[in-house]
Amino acid sequence: MAKVKKPTKAALKRINSIITRYSEQRWGLIPLLQEIQQVQGYIPPVVIPHIASAMRLFPSQVQGVITFYTQLYTEPQGKNVVRVCRGTACHVRGGKTILKLVKQELGVEEGETTSDYEYTLETVACIGVCALAPNIVINNSTHGHMNPKKVARLFEKEDGS
Amino acid sequence: MEAVTITLDGVEVSGYSGMTILDLARDSGVDIPTLCHDPHLNPTGACRLCLVEDDSSGALLASCVVPIRPGMVINTRSPRVIERRKVIVQFMLASHPDSCLVCDKGNRCQLRKLASEMGIGLLDFQRLPQSAAIQDVNPFIERDLSRCILCAKCIRADQELVVEGAIDYMDRGFTAKPATLGDVPLEESACTFCGTCVAMCPTGALMEKERSYHGTTTTTVDSICPFCGCGCSISLEVKDNKVVRVKPGTKSQVNRGTLCVRGSYGYDFVHSNERLTSPLIKVDGSFQEASWEQALGHISGEFKRIKEDHGASSLAILGSSKCTNEENYLLQRLARAVLGTNNIDNGSRLYNPATRFGLGQSIGFPSTTNTIDKIEDSEVIMVIGANPTASAPAVSYAIKRAVNHRNARLLLIDPRETGLAPFANLWLRPEVGTDVVLLNELCRVIIDEKLFDEEFVTRRTDNFEELVRSLKDNTPEYAQSITGISSEDIQLAAQLLAGAQRASIVYGNGITQHINGTDNVTALANLAMLNGNVGQRGGGIFALQRENNGLGACDMGTLPDFLPGYQSLDDDQVRKGFEEHWGVDLPAEAGLTAIEMIERAATGGVKGMLIVGENPVSGFPNPSAVRDALTSLDFLVTTDLFLTETAELATVVLPAASFAEKEGTFTNFEGRVQQIHKAVEPVGDSMPDWEIILQLASAMGQSMPYSTLQQVMTEIEDLVPLYQYLADADLKIEGLGRADLESERLRARRLFKGLFPSGFGRFSPVEYNQPVGQTDNGYPFTLVSGSILYQFGSGTRSLKASRLRRFWSESWLEINEDDAEYSGYGDGDVVRVISPIGEVTTTVRVTNALPKGLLFMPVSFPESPVNKLYGVNLDPRAKAPSFKPCAVRLERINPDG
Ligand code: SF4
Ligand code: SF4
Ligand code: SF4
Ligand code: FES
Repeated sequence: MAKVKKPTKAALKRINSIITRYSEQRWGLIPLLQEIQQVQGYIPPVVIPHIASAMRLFPSQVQGVITFYTQLYTEPQGKNVVRVCRGTACHVRGGKTILKLVKQELGVEEGETTSDYEYTLETVACIGVCALAPNIVINNSTHGHMNPKKVARLFEKEDGS
Repeated sequence: MEAVTITLDGVEVSGYSGMTILDLARDSGVDIPTLCHDPHLNPTGACRLCLVEDDSSGALLASCVVPIRPGMVINTRSPRVIERRKVIVQFMLASHPDSCLVCDKGNRCQLRKLASEMGIGLLDFQRLPQSAAIQDVNPFIERDLSRCILCAKCIRADQELVVEGAIDYMDRGFTAKPATLGDVPLEESACTFCGTCVAMCPTGALMEKERSYHGTTTTTVDSICPFCGCGCSISLEVKDNKVVRVKPGTKSQVNRGTLCVRGSYGYDFVHSNERLTSPLIKVDGSFQEASWEQALGHISGEFKRIKEDHGASSLAILGSSKCTNEENYLLQRLARAVLGTNNIDNGSRLYNPATRFGLGQSIGFPSTTNTIDKIEDSEVIMVIGANPTASAPAVSYAIKRAVNHRNARLLLIDPRETGLAPFANLWLRPEVGTDVVLLNELCRVIIDEKLFDEEFVTRRTDNFEELVRSLKDNTPEYAQSITGISSEDIQLAAQLLAGAQRASIVYGNGITQHINGTDNVTALANLAMLNGNVGQRGGGIFALQRENNGLGACDMGTLPDFLPGYQSLDDDQVRKGFEEHWGVDLPAEAGLTAIEMIERAATGGVKGMLIVGENPVSGFPNPSAVRDALTSLDFLVTTDLFLTETAELATVVLPAASFAEKEGTFTNFEGRVQQIHKAVEPVGDSMPDWEIILQLASAMGQSMPYSTLQQVMTEIEDLVPLYQYLADADLKIEGLGRADLESERLRARRLFKGLFPSGFGRFSPVEYNQPVGQTDNGYPFTLVSGSILYQFGSGTRSLKASRLRRFWSESWLEINEDDAEYSGYGDGDVVRVISPIGEVTTTVRVTNALPKGLLFMPVSFPESPVNKLYGVNLDPRAKAPSFKPCAVRLERINPDG
């Protein structure tokens, strides 16, 4: 998986100026986190204590909020987010094997990002197209009736290689 | 409060508005099961186990969060309620691991208890995946979150009560769990191992590590923590004559369900195998076990001989700020009535007298002027010269609660970045030893800007004009140049403080342990009086006490210049009262203070000494001189739990019982008198100090007329005005039964009652004198010493507590980053710290918590005794040695010699 890059000095400066704008406004935590994520793509853990002290919260509380929302990340995400469905229908029709194959294909575990920052792998509970199970969602497009061959092709194609 | 009547299970019951259904049910003796509720925590309604049915609407309500409303009809046992509760417990068990069967929480697990009460078997479930046990290597707390039921009690305990913020929920859904920042082990997090969350966790998810006993105990004994002056209530769990667990006591107004690491995990010194179990008499340089009869006979013979040959003033007693009030009372009677000398003092000489003199002369009351809950009610809290996160954790919790949950503003005055710094609204870092200038300047600004409480000053105080005159020549420039704090910041601080109706001033040894400690306290009292913060409902002056009974020992007259209750020795009338009561003539001349005893011992003026539960060799300045002095005595007796550095010099050593092995009372820093109770039998032949004193008096042929401790307590009530039983009106405490009320009365009898006992508070101008211990060329650094959380005092007991000892076993030296970089020191480097008086060796810790030029070393580690660096520089009035600034230099020790 990708080694978490340390945010650059410039990035930290950018983040800090965002934090300053929200200082001591506890209600502002969520918009603040969203803004950082928008600008930076993720919320570097090193800035959590800064956020906490500006908001007069505990760092553990800020972490609690970040980890509560699946849309907030503490690690840089890949260009493409791959979500493998773990819903019951997908499970019954071999979703587990599909997940295993995707992991092998990308060389990362759930929640991790490939070292070239191309892909981030996640699982989802159910995406609601059970008729097509097993399913994979890449960014906004759904790929149904997955099998080992299709998995391999999918990433070849996406890779462009 | 308005009365509200509801129908509960068919019976009409009344409570007051604001009560929850659960509160009222419990008050009425109706049992409702709960898992996430605790009276100390804000209710969240997380577990839903406390469901009850509202008969009129049929709704199921979480009784721990729903307030009572007039006319409600509540059923706590309807079939729906019972069924629903059962389902909830089944769900919880479904995600519970098989290790439940072997879990050490056993019958203390509330989940398991509920399951069995509801007739739910443990194994009839489809199991769900669980998170695994966590590898924490600390010696205190063990986490197995597979047993967590997500009640959030631990998180609330951590954030609402002790306000450390070490843990919060992480993730959600199946993987949600209470976690530290970055999910690191507790020892790498902000956790202080206070144990509060462990005591509250209803399951086996959080447990005490290294339990000496794994099962359920049946005997619990209420007592008081024997370490710091906060005086937290504790509950000792006992099994087979052993204290096997300590939990926060219930119903304490002081600690409110919390403790600190010392209280929770420091108790096992009681069962250390190094405890003294028999009297020892030194024969030809080595100790031999002896019987009590032999030992006491020997002592009385020697004391009598010395008294005959050299007079009573050649004998001296050093009493203990750790012993009970009753023991200290008996001890001063032993000195005055049996030995015939006022040479009696106690260990709190090292930190307390500046408060006694400073506050005494200003407000006419020798100690803290309000109760700890009033700190929480304050609008502004000023903390100066105190690091309560280490020295008085329960007070630090109250301060942090006030700031985080009640919007109090914190004015922190400390050159070091203490644990309170993140909570401060304004943090001033004066040069060490310049507090008087800062405090005077605060007074001047407040007077100049007419911010003071005019009515209070006119009606309740005198000598104001004198204060104004003395401050006339102060200028902002002068204050800034001495303290290093900008005049703008001083002005801000003054406005902050004066702007509050209810302001509290909290101070500690950083104020008192200076050569001008009395001046510091006096200047603080001036400031408090200017703002009208003495003797009103909120706010006050809070003088922290290092030890559990430092205040009580002084109250009891274990002092060379006062009879019990600070009654003057010079007052013939008072003396006569005691003489009549005790049936002997009493010496009228003031005796020697602790430091003077040692000095006199060195010059031969004192020949025989009894030292009770104190360890001057490791606590007093210039220990080698102390050692020499004690060695040159004709005869030294010590009583202690352990063979301390001081005891080793004695001819006779008597084994004393610990706090868990005796009865008595301690007086905490607020002046609350609290009872300790015997939980286990004294180890070996050891005896409580009060029995030792009584037996010694008999051995000397002057028995004291007490056969029970109660008789001593009664005499204290009779003869010590501060401790008189006062049937107070202000004791209407809600929710207390009759027995509680009795003990509340006991607790409250010494608390500050209203306004200055003398009628007026008196302003006393204070002048600044250059402190001693200034740095100069040869000694470029300023060293301050102080307490740390994981040890206590000189370490005599806390280093025998196995877990505390293991967590931090060695001393260190803190140095500012820039200084370290400049001199090329890194973490772990071994250095010699050298003062003009002595030197010690220790290891470096680089920190950004100190300003440049300042060093910090903890007391408590006899292997690197920081007291060796200090000479004896006494506060002229308090006769207490300075322990704060000391000029030192550093020398690197090469690892290869
Ligand atoms: S660890 Fe214990 S106290 Fe904390 S949420 Fe889990 S069960 Fe509750
Ligand atoms: S032991 Fe105390 S500080 Fe540590 S997590 Fe528990 S409540 Fe917080
Ligand atoms: S705060 Fe003091 S009295 Fe309370 S548990 Fe800790 S050491 Fe004991
Ligand atoms: S006790 Fe009421 S919801 Fe948990």
